[in-house]
Amino acid sequence: MGTVPAVYHALLTRRYLTSKVMPLLASLAVVLCTAMVLITWSVMGGFLNNLTQAGRSLIGDVRIAWPNVGFAHYDELIGMLEADPSVEAAAPIIETFGMLTLLENRTEGVLIRGIDGGSFSRVTDYPGTLWWRPLDEPMPKDGGGDDLRLADENRLLLQRIYEDGLRLRELDPVTGRPESAIVLGVEVGGWNVRTDWGGYYPRVQHLATPEGGSELMNKFMPGSGELSLLVVPIDSQGRPLEPQTAKLPVANEFESGLYDIDRQTVLMDLPALQKMLRMHAAKRVVRGQEGAGSAFEGFFDGEGEVAPAQTVEDPARVTSVIVRMADPDGDLLAFRDRCHEIYAEFAVAHAGEVPSGSVIGIETWEDANRMMIEAVKKETGLVLMIFTFISFTAVFLVFAIFWAMISEKTKDIGILRALGASRLGVAWVWLRYGLAIGVVGSVLGGVLAWAIVTNINEIHEGIYTTGKWLGTHLAGREWNWYIWDPKVYVFKEIPHKIEPWKAAIVLVGGLVSCLVGALWPAARAARMHPVKALRFE
Amino acid sequence: MTTATATTPARADPTPGGLLLRVANLHKTYRLGRVDVPVLHGVDLTLGRGEWVAILGASGSGKSTLLHLIGGLDRPDRARNGRARAQIEFRGRDMVNCSQAELNGFRCADVGFVFQFYHLLPELSVTDNVLLGTMIKHGRWGFMGQRADLRARAHKLLDAFGLGHRLRHRPAELSGGERQRVAIARALMNDPSLLLADEPTGNLDRKTGAAILEVLAGIRAERGQTMLMVTHDPEIAARADRVVHLVDGRVVRPSDG
Ligand SMILES: Nc1ncnc2c1ncn2[C@@H]1O[C@H](COP(=O)(O)OP(=O)(O)OP(=O)(O)O)[C@@H](O)[C@H]1O
Ligand SMILES: [Mg+2]
Repeated sequence: MGTVPAVYHALLTRRYLTSKVMPLLASLAVVLCTAMVLITWSVMGGFLNNLTQAGRSLIGDVRIAWPNVGFAHYDELIGMLEADPSVEAAAPIIETFGMLTLLENRTEGVLIRGIDGGSFSRVTDYPGTLWWRPLDEPMPKDGGGDDLRLADENRLLLQRIYEDGLRLRELDPVTGRPESAIVLGVEVGGWNVRTDWGGYYPRVQHLATPEGGSELMNKFMPGSGELSLLVVPIDSQGRPLEPQTAKLPVANEFESGLYDIDRQTVLMDLPALQKMLRMHAAKRVVRGQEGAGSAFEGFFDGEGEVAPAQTVEDPARVTSVIVRMADPDGDLLAFRDRCHEIYAEFAVAHAGEVPSGSVIGIETWEDANRMMIEAVKKETGLVLMIFTFISFTAVFLVFAIFWAMISEKTKDIGILRALGASRLGVAWVWLRYGLAIGVVGSVLGGVLAWAIVTNINEIHEGIYTTGKWLGTHLAGREWNWYIWDPKVYVFKEIPHKIEPWKAAIVLVGGLVSCLVGALWPAARAARMHPVKALRFE
Repeated sequence: MTTATATTPARADPTPGGLLLRVANLHKTYRLGRVDVPVLHGVDLTLGRGEWVAILGASGSGKSTLLHLIGGLDRPDRARNGRARAQIEFRGRDMVNCSQAELNGFRCADVGFVFQFYHLLPELSVTDNVLLGTMIKHGRWGFMGQRADLRARAHKLLDAFGLGHRLRHRPAELSGGERQRVAIARALMNDPSLLLADEPTGNLDRKTGAAILEVLAGIRAERGQTMLMVTHDPEIAARADRVVHLVDGRVVRPSDG
């Protein structure tokens, strides 16, 4: 007898659960642990997601790259890529390093990317990253509407600056002709001040004049001739050539959301950069037979002084072509392989002129950001692991409480056995009891986590305003109780979504923990000798 | 020395209703660390259907131990040193060499226990305590299927014991005598062939104890319930049909003592 499960299991679970304080405490511990793990996982996971999306915003889905030397006929490659239905768009870019000399001769090493504004905007989310543009709605934390991009009187100017940024051109104030311009990462110039709400406004400074006075200086968007960019062209053997310098105006600034990128990256008009790096279409001298067909040779531009034996037109080159998938949720690796196939076709068509399909570097945006993503993933994993360990206290608590309860309920166990319950039946009373605590605890924990995570920004804001209020009343100054300070973090808001699969894993984990905690005590109850249990005082 | 009594089972009066239980050569030794504590030294006993037998013995003589062995809560010592095999036959079934599951079923369906200290579950209501044995017996669906019937039966039993108005109460809210009546109702719920009562009045004052004894007598009169009752009080034992003395772990007939 003693069928499992039976009605007495449910009855005892219910009665034990509602008439004792200890199991409620165990449930509470489970609630807190599940909520803690789920909140951490959701926020950290959301953070990781934001970070990867930010990392993705300026590199497309797949990058075909042959660094430094670059490859030619890229227009043809782009044509082939864009003819494929899986490809949304493709864009040529050059990636190189350089030195940017800012105001007052501050010099910074920068990553330069030569882009063609139009195609780059189709492949990446470039337009969305341009900071200076007219804004209709204030940013999430900008309660006061301080953002100068909101002001109506700036609208026209900002619209022009925005379009300049898209085209990487600016009208020369003197000649009125469009000239090549650069777009800087918003943290590169150092002339922007990051606001409390995570935005920027231009720093206004007083500068000493040579005459001994001082001059109000607005460093917003330095014009032509104020910044200079130095690059070192490299020949096909990897030898540096004469460094090239250009003085360029700043058209706009971008914010990708990744500090490293926003701190070091300079975007430049592709043809201008090609020319500086000597990767533009140029004449090349071929002596006799030897150099025939090889694109990876020293070359001279049109003004070269060597008397040509034979002059051929060398096509322009780029270091990379970036590609965007037509289906945003498509299989990234399959897409990479498709790009690789297309490139291989292209390389066959230009055998000897471009790197072959087997040597070309093709990577997804995930590969490109691997270091950063892995770091954050590891961090998330670590925090999660720590909290999971902490959650073992819940297991231990359930265990300890059950152990104590079974000692207290020894007589009940004896009675159940005397009435015919089997060992398994007795064990199941306690396992079911653990299960009940687990279900109650993890479901409530899940609800708590959901309530906290979905309202985390409001809660955060509440903490912040409380700090401000308390500070002004108690200390005479505002206390900054931002934990997630938009001034410091690139993301203005704390991630606030719980993914159902994460919730499911955590809830099941909470449940299993309770079962595990109940397992040993249940086994002890099952092994208990009925007579000893009955005689127990 | 133990085999002497074992070879001559006491069969004084063949019971009219036939034999329900036959116990022979029952030995039980407890182990306290390295020391063996022998409690029962070859108990022989028979119980006829419908008989009410009282086991009378001093404290520590092994009365409870015997009751636990008969009720399948514990197992007798295994035969050793040429000693005869212990036997417990219940309606001809061997209850010594049976499986644990069989023993569970035996306790559930064939035996009803009444203890000196009532042994009710404190968290359950009076009704639920009485129903507990049927919940164990029937399993989930079986119980749910006849839930109403079983409840009605429990209420009828409790009513008969004068507890009709205490159905929802917790054991802690009842007096000792009331608790023992609940315990008796619980023991009867599965219609056991054998009621085992271990000093059912031992924890009660004289008057209440007498009332419990009346309840037991009533059950016996009404249903012809076979009962084995343990007590150390000769006056209480005298209510039974037959008194068996347990002395030093052995059953002695009154003439021997
Ligand atoms: N688990 C045990 N380990 C060792 N000795 C035990 C154990 N259980 C019972 N005993 C001993 O066995 C003997 C008989 O115990 P039992 O409870 O059967 O006596 P009893 O006749 O029911 O006594 P009482 O009238 O006081 O209830 C006692 O001496 C007791 O100390
Ligand atoms: Mg006793």
